[in-house]
Amino acid sequence: MTSTDLNTYVTFGYLAWWVVYLIAFITTAKDSSILKLAFRILVVIWVVHTVAIGLRWVESYQMGIGHAPLSNLYESLVFFGWTIGLALIVARLRFGTDIVVLLGLPLVFLTMGSTFLLDHTIKPLIPALQSNWLVAHVITCFLGYASFAVSFVAAVMLLVARGSDYLGEHLPRAQVLDEIVYRSVLIGFPLLTVGIITGAAWADYAWGAYWSWDPKETWSLITWLVYSAFLHARLARGWAGRRSALLSVLGFVAVLFTYFGVNYLPGLHSYF
Amino acid sequence: MSEIASFFTSVKTTITLLFLLASASIVGTLVPQDTGLDQLRQTASPFMYRIMIILDLPTVFRSWWFILLLILLSLNLLACLIRRLSVIPAEWKGDSEKASFSFVISDPRPGSELKGVFTSALKRLLGAPSTVIGSGDGPGLVWVKHRVHLLGFPLIHAGIIVILLGGLVGLFYGFRGNIQIQEGGIGKEVVLSPSGEVRPLPFQIAVDKFTLTRYATGQPKEFRSDVRLIRDGKEALKGAILVNDPLTFEGISLYQSDYRLLGIKEVSLIFVGQGGQQSDLKVRPRETTDIPGASYRVRLHSVDPGTTAKGQGAEIVVERPGEEQQIVGVFRNEPAKLGDSEIRFVDYTPLYATGLQVARDPGAIVVWVGCGFLILGFFLTLFTNHRRLAIDMQTRAGSTQIRVYGRSRRLRREFREAVEKRIRSSLDKKEK
Repeated sequence: MTSTDLNTYVTFGYLAWWVVYLIAFITTAKDSSILKLAFRILVVIWVVHTVAIGLRWVESYQMGIGHAPLSNLYESLVFFGWTIGLALIVARLRFGTDIVVLLGLPLVFLTMGSTFLLDHTIKPLIPALQSNWLVAHVITCFLGYASFAVSFVAAVMLLVARGSDYLGEHLPRAQVLDEIVYRSVLIGFPLLTVGIITGAAWADYAWGAYWSWDPKETWSLITWLVYSAFLHARLARGWAGRRSALLSVLGFVAVLFTYFGVNYLPGLHSYF
Repeated sequence: MSEIASFFTSVKTTITLLFLLASASIVGTLVPQDTGLDQLRQTASPFMYRIMIILDLPTVFRSWWFILLLILLSLNLLACLIRRLSVIPAEWKGDSEKASFSFVISDPRPGSELKGVFTSALKRLLGAPSTVIGSGDGPGLVWVKHRVHLLGFPLIHAGIIVILLGGLVGLFYGFRGNIQIQEGGIGKEVVLSPSGEVRPLPFQIAVDKFTLTRYATGQPKEFRSDVRLIRDGKEALKGAILVNDPLTFEGISLYQSDYRLLGIKEVSLIFVGQGGQQSDLKVRPRETTDIPGASYRVRLHSVDPGTTAKGQGAEIVVERPGEEQQIVGVFRNEPAKLGDSEIRFVDYTPLYATGLQVARDPGAIVVWVGCGFLILGFFLTLFTNHRRLAIDMQTRAGSTQIRVYGRSRRLRREFREAVEKRIRSSLDKKEK
């Protein structure tokens, strides 16, 4: 079995598990043993996902062109799905909110599912990507993005709950959601910062310029500025609830544009 | 004066500046940057063109107003930093009595006894008290933990200022440019970006060879320029420049950035004589070669990179004394006949020019120091937590009034709950 097959199984695993979890969530009481079991199964699927990434790494070495599986859009999407999965699991363990996982998981299987449309063959690394900075840069950026994704999911719930009393009753307390919105940004922001710094260090080493205002760099800075505004508004001006949730949504829009939108503009990151 | 000061220390100003910078950056990615003015004049209407020129939109990130925003942000950061630094010493010493929670309880035991109860109850959470004030029945206990957390905020904000300063140093004392050197050629001056100004280098770059290696799939594997750096007519350094592997000499770094195909260096052929004896034959442009052991003279006319079923090949001009010169095609799948002899095609070597990026930036090290501050600051902020807890006790008429007040930078509710639980349960335990 190849890592590509494994990724396919993992994708459908997430989807199938999501349906089961949804049914369990609707029909059973909160904290039921079925929900707890369902969560454990999610962790197992995520572990298989981890194995698939490791397997792809091994396969590239068997082909004699060994490199970390972070070198093109297919591999980065698989890794993005993995980091979101990780962030959802951490959020569930920390806050005990199944619904965050339930609403966040579509992001994972949509990300994974979109890889079906892409070329999945393992290609050798082009000269520009042959650097150890690649691994540090990609891992920190995507972990940051995943934290922001969790914040976004909680922010959307918070905004929806405020708009409807019925939904408000069935969602976690606004205070808990607000906490998730904030704490996820608190984790994501330093990760994004380190991601930008490792990217700058790499650019300096490879091209002699740590900052070139290339569209992807600029958009990562825009993302950083939005979340920086989020933290200042929250910590110094006491923004919470709706206003801080809106900023979190705005920040995630910037994240998505940094990741996908920028590919339509020319620049240094054209291989992703 | 105080209005100006409060403008610069205000977080409202910070948030506004952050949003303005973000908006400006968005404009900078939507309007193509650094395209020539002629191109812009053709694509935009005269009115839009004038607006764009006035606002420096084709060079947002170097425009006066973008720089102004950065300066304002730096002043804002500096003002906040100074204000923050002024209160840190008192908090470091533990003198600041600012509290995020407080509660009062009472207990029949005297303060002298409760001192021990609280010390052991809070030992696992906070360790031993850092200060014990007074004695007897009215002692006060103070715990201060993770003071180093207080440095997180100044480090993060100073880090940003240092990074911006590093950028400024690079702007004034650094340069960046491109140079294109043909194989076998020598480069002496770089074209600076973005100004286009030509600047002589303190040394010369001699490119001996440029090599483009490919994977079996045809994708490029390695770009490599073998160079010699010449200073005052003498070779000072010999080395290779690869993508992601620059060469640095006297503070100036050379980076492999791109390459150009200029033509053909030489074509390798095999000449098979009448008796079947084979000899290698190299043909170069603008250079006539004698074929050893035969009376032919050949010269390269053109190269076919493989456009037909005959495969890669070359056209060569063949001369023989007393005969009219003729052009002969030699292909990989179709050797050429010359009377009783034959010429076979082997390969051609392209002539490249390597494109190097040349840069010197004394500000980069400053930027990395700033980044170090930033990372250390985030580490302290996230992984340490400054807490101060104080307990004042006053024994009056057989009862001790206990006032507990404290402050935690992070996880405030958790800290308050942990303290309250431990103190209350320690009192309950002893009473039973």
